[in-house]
Amino acid sequence: MRSPGLTRQIQLVAALRWRILRNNLRRKNNRLDLLGLIASGVFGALLVAGLSIALYFGAYTFLSTGRAGCMALFFWAIFVWWQVFPVFVAGFGASFEFRTLLRFPLSLSAFYLIGLAYGLADFSAIAALCWLLAMTIGAAVASPGVLLAMLLLSTLFVLMNVTLERLIGSWLERLLARRRSREIFFAIFVLLMVSVQFISPMLNRYGDAARPWVERLLPYLAPFPPSLAGRAIAGAALHHFGDVLLGAAGVSLYLLLFGGLLWLRFASQYAGEELSETAAPARVVARPTATAPGQADTLSLLSPQIAAVVRKEFRYLTRNGFAFLTLLLPPVLVLLFSSQISTVRHTGPAGKLSPDLFFPGMMAYLILILMAPAYNCFAYEGRGIQSYFMAPLRFRNVFLGKNLMLTIVLTLEILLSMAVLAFRVGLPSPPRFVATLAAIVFTVVGQFVIANWSSLTFPRKLVFGQMRGQRQSGMAVLIAFGAQILLGGMSTLILFAGRWTGNPWLPAEIFAFLAVAAVAGYFASLDALTELAEQNKETLIEALCR
Amino acid sequence: MSDVAIRIEKLSRRFGNLTAVDNIDLEVAAGQFFGFLGPNGAGKSTTIKMLTGLLAPTAGRMQLLGLDFAQHSVEVKRQIGVVPEGMGLFERLTGSEYLHFVGQMYGLDRATTRQRSAELLEFMQLADRPKTLVADYSHGMQKKLALAAAVIHRPRILFLDEPFEGVDALAAGALKTLLSRMIERGVTIFLTSHVLEIVERLCSHVAIIDKGRLVAQGSLEELRAGVAAEAGSKTTLEQIFLSIVGQDGAQRPQLEELSWLM
Repeated sequence: MRSPGLTRQIQLVAALRWRILRNNLRRKNNRLDLLGLIASGVFGALLVAGLSIALYFGAYTFLSTGRAGCMALFFWAIFVWWQVFPVFVAGFGASFEFRTLLRFPLSLSAFYLIGLAYGLADFSAIAALCWLLAMTIGAAVASPGVLLAMLLLSTLFVLMNVTLERLIGSWLERLLARRRSREIFFAIFVLLMVSVQFISPMLNRYGDAARPWVERLLPYLAPFPPSLAGRAIAGAALHHFGDVLLGAAGVSLYLLLFGGLLWLRFASQYAGEELSETAAPARVVARPTATAPGQADTLSLLSPQIAAVVRKEFRYLTRNGFAFLTLLLPPVLVLLFSSQISTVRHTGPAGKLSPDLFFPGMMAYLILILMAPAYNCFAYEGRGIQSYFMAPLRFRNVFLGKNLMLTIVLTLEILLSMAVLAFRVGLPSPPRFVATLAAIVFTVVGQFVIANWSSLTFPRKLVFGQMRGQRQSGMAVLIAFGAQILLGGMSTLILFAGRWTGNPWLPAEIFAFLAVAAVAGYFASLDALTELAEQNKETLIEALCR
Repeated sequence: MSDVAIRIEKLSRRFGNLTAVDNIDLEVAAGQFFGFLGPNGAGKSTTIKMLTGLLAPTAGRMQLLGLDFAQHSVEVKRQIGVVPEGMGLFERLTGSEYLHFVGQMYGLDRATTRQRSAELLEFMQLADRPKTLVADYSHGMQKKLALAAAVIHRPRILFLDEPFEGVDALAAGALKTLLSRMIERGVTIFLTSHVLEIVERLCSHVAIIDKGRLVAQGSLEELRAGVAAEAGSKTTLEQIFLSIVGQDGAQRPQLEELSWLM
């Protein structure tokens, strides 16, 4: 039997990707997904078209005004886009394992070429091709003599980029196949996103001082492919054909280097590289079964079941890099906000900010962020949710354990943030301080009741260390927003009641009463939630064991 | 103490228009090794889920160890152990941590939990990976851990949904020995498996469910006698099973249609 030709194989892969996309939409039966896809398609098309026009005019302007050397800037922009964008969407994109094609009768060279063709079908590649085409047309209109050079360099540049992108992608695939490295990758991703917040203050403070250093670094970029391509185009505009040849040869060398490395990577995959992290069988080592001497039980005041849930929650928290980072971020952001506010405060009396306003505001922000996961608190249980229903316990104990763990985390975070605020901005007046603490108890405990109900009614599974397909339950998010707006609005009104009535302790008294009522309501709600858990167990198990 | 470990009366479960379990009656005596068989989608797992509190029945009554499940679910759960269909493991704990968690959920004190966990991990040959997360276990290792968790509190009834699936031959042998000893100790075991040889070797009594209905029930000898009377030489459990669920002759897929494969 004869294998299908390379073109036919590429067609088959394209058709496969299309069917995966189509069936995925059909399976979810979710029109919103389709709408989202259309919206992002329109947005993407506008982005590509807009930048194509800009690059056309940019290239035209550079060539017609004798600044052909500046074309390197465009090549750099496209290069960065082509290599960085796929890395950022690696965790979010549609699921398709290119390596699964290896089960079919493909030669290594066919596998390599299909891999490259596959790389050209990405959004980043298509956008880059459009932009290079626009640049080529713009440059050729301004200076027809550079057309051949543009075509040659653009072709080499495309081949080099797609090869490098596939090389990075294949290494990334290997990296993300392991759970631990996947979590580290996402942690770095989140940190990068947060770090973006610091760019503006850093530029304000160090921008002028850094400029000479940046300018000193620029010449070192000359040996890289975008600079080589830009230099070749500048050479073509000035009829320095040596520069054209040098640039083209340089880009070709990079293409050969990346092509060779990619061949080695694909050859490893072709030979059956194992990416799985499942534990391999190991020799069983005989070990004594003697148990460790009895350790003091730090949770001995709790019932064994609640203590077991607290321990399990703690372990899950420390092993979920993403959730752990989410908990670390609020104090960091409080530090960031307080540093910006302090800067404003020191600029003059008009910018002075009262801790009486800033402190409750920051506490509200902390609760807003930290309480959000409570509205879908079984998200990471997976199949383990069945353990709760198989065990001889009342479901109230599960909620008590989970809520207690979150309360401990919240307390630590609030204490840490208070220390930051006391250091940076100062603490508020005693009436406002006590009122804020009582308000925290009221809003947190009040939210626990609503969040527990939401977790039972609108569960949605989330997977550790994975961002692809990770979406919170839409209804849980809405309920969280509603509850936080309601409780936050009430708290704001009560805080201002002290100012309006002239009695600074009035908010503290009201919040103390509400906090006691909320705690009583919370314990009263546990039996009803236990009943609800029994009624909703099938929904929960079905949603989380999927 | 009741002599009947499990009593099911008129048990049904519907999912919309589909009746997964249809009005079944079943009795399992205490100390029996009971095999619950049926083709794919027959209603085996649905029945086990109802018997272990993972699924509410649409109608009917279940009594375990003389206690009505609906009224005494916590007391019943305290005395049963389960390996459910999806194993129900917390994947972000290590094997040892998971057993500690389960032990405490069943109300064992920490010292007992620690000792039993260590012994069970040793027996299941999982003790050499103390820091490996359950997520990183192979399927067979996860199955062994789920079994360890199901017995850590010395249950009086053990429900096992496909316990030998994905377990290597060595571990399967050890598990069979363990289960046999539990039976000797008076534990009732309710097992589903597609491996009919295992069921035939281990179980004294069998029930067969097909399309949600219980189509046969009794000791292996009784089933053999019933089928042999109709079909003469059919004696193995596989033959009994095929005969009862109707895959014996006319309904068997026609291999002639795949002549190109022969």
